[in-house]
Amino acid sequence: MKSIAAKAVVPVALAVTGFVVVCCILLYSFIKNDLLNSSIQREVNLAGIIVKSTRHAMLQADRESLRNIIDNIGEQNGVEHVRIFNETGLVMFSAAPEEVSQLVDKKAAGCIACHSTDIPATNLGPMEQSRWFTNQKNHNVLAITAPIYNEPGCSTADCHFHPPTLKVLGTLDIGLSAEPLRDSLVTLGWRMVVFCIMVLILTVGGVCALLRRNILLPITNLVAYANAATRGNTDQPPPGGIDEIELIGQSLHGLALRLEKKQAELEMLRSKSREGAAVHKPSISSTENPG
Amino acid sequence: MSDQTDPSTEQIPESRFDRGRLRREIHLEIRRLHRLSNRGLWGLALFILISLGAQQNLRFLPPLSEGARAVLGAAPPVKLISIALVVYSFSALILILSRMMGGSDTYRGWSHLGYLSGFYAFYYYAEVLPENFWAVFAAGITILTLEYYQIWTYCSEALRTEQELLSKLEE
Repeated sequence: MKSIAAKAVVPVALAVTGFVVVCCILLYSFIKNDLLNSSIQREVNLAGIIVKSTRHAMLQADRESLRNIIDNIGEQNGVEHVRIFNETGLVMFSAAPEEVSQLVDKKAAGCIACHSTDIPATNLGPMEQSRWFTNQKNHNVLAITAPIYNEPGCSTADCHFHPPTLKVLGTLDIGLSAEPLRDSLVTLGWRMVVFCIMVLILTVGGVCALLRRNILLPITNLVAYANAATRGNTDQPPPGGIDEIELIGQSLHGLALRLEKKQAELEMLRSKSREGAAVHKPSISSTENPG
Repeated sequence: MSDQTDPSTEQIPESRFDRGRLRREIHLEIRRLHRLSNRGLWGLALFILISLGAQQNLRFLPPLSEGARAVLGAAPPVKLISIALVVYSFSALILILSRMMGGSDTYRGWSHLGYLSGFYAFYYYAEVLPENFWAVFAAGITILTLEYYQIWTYCSEALRTEQELLSKLEE
C-alpha cells in the first residue's frame, strides 16, 4: 500500500465510518428507549382510563357492565389481552373467557415485581409496571399491570365489603401489541445503516476525488514533464495545479534549461577543440616528416 | 616508531568488523519492527476475546453480590456512560490520526484495551450490557484497527529503509 490515495483514504474512511457507526448505535439505543418509555407512559395512562371507567360499575358491583367493558376493550385492534384479577390472583374478568376463574402465577413476569418479597409492594413506577414478552400467538406484547386501590367508597359500600386496611383490591393487566413499535425500530435501524453507507461513500469518494484533482493529476503531469525534460524537451511549460507542484515544476524547468545551456556550451567547446586539433595536425605531421 | 603500521592493512578488517556489526544491528532492528507491527494484531485479538465474553453478558463471572453493590454504590446513568463513550471514541481517533501525521512509533493499543474493558464493565454494572455491546464493540474495532494501521504503516516504512540499508551492505 504505497499509493498516496490508499494511504490517505484508509485512515480517514476507517475513522469516520467507525465513529458514525458508534454514534448511530448509541442514537438508536437512545431513540429505542425514548419510544419504549413513551409507549409505556401511554399504556399506563390507558390503564388509568380503564380503571376510572370501570370505577362506577365496581362500586355498584355491576359485574355485567364490567364484563361488557372488558370484552369491548379486548375486541379493539392491537389489544392482545385485558384482564382484572383480585388480590389473591384469581382472574375475575377477562377478554378471553377461558382465563376467568384461573389463578395467576405470582412468580410470573409482571407479578414478580410486586411479589418478590413476602409483603407485596403496592406502589411501582411505570417502568416496573411494564413487561415486554412474546405471547402464545407469537406476537410481541407490551403489557402493563395497574393496581386497583381501595377507596373509602369501596370499603363502606352496601353492596359488597372490602376491609379498609386492604390497600390493593385487584389488578388490571392490559397488553397491547408491540408490533408497530418493533416495525418502527426496524425501519429506523435500516435507515441508520443506509445513512452509514452513504457517509462511507461520501467520505471515501470525497477524499478520492480531492486527492485525484489536487495531488494525483498534478503529480502525473509533473512526472510526464520530468521525463520529457530528461529527453531534452524543454519547450512545454512546467505543470500547474497546486503551489508546491508548480514550484517543483519551475525548479525542474530551470534545471533543464541550465542543463541544456551547459550541454550547448560543452558541445561548442568540443567542436572548438576538434577544430583546433584539425588545424594543428597538418603542422605536426609536416614537422615529423621533413622530407 | 616500531608500533607504526601500514594504514591500508589495518582499515580492511576494521571496516569488515563494522559491516558485520551494522548488519547485526539492522537484523535486530528488523526483528524489533516485526514485533512492534505484530503488537497491533495482538491488541485486536485480545479485544475480540474480551468482546466474546462481553457478548455473553460476562456470564462466566460470578454475579455481583448485594454487599459488593452496596460498597460500589449506584451505577452511573446509562446516558452518561454512552456520552463518555462518544467523547472517548472521538478523542482517541483524533489522537491516533495526529500520531499518524507525526510518524510516531508508539503503540497505545494496550491502554485503549483497558478503557474499552472499562466501558464493558460500566454497562455490565448498570445491567445494560446486551443493549450497548455493539456500540463498545464498534468503537473498539475502529480504534484498535486504526492503531494497528498506524503502527503497521510506520513499521512497513522503517522495514523498507532497513532492508535497503541491508542490501547496500551486502553489495
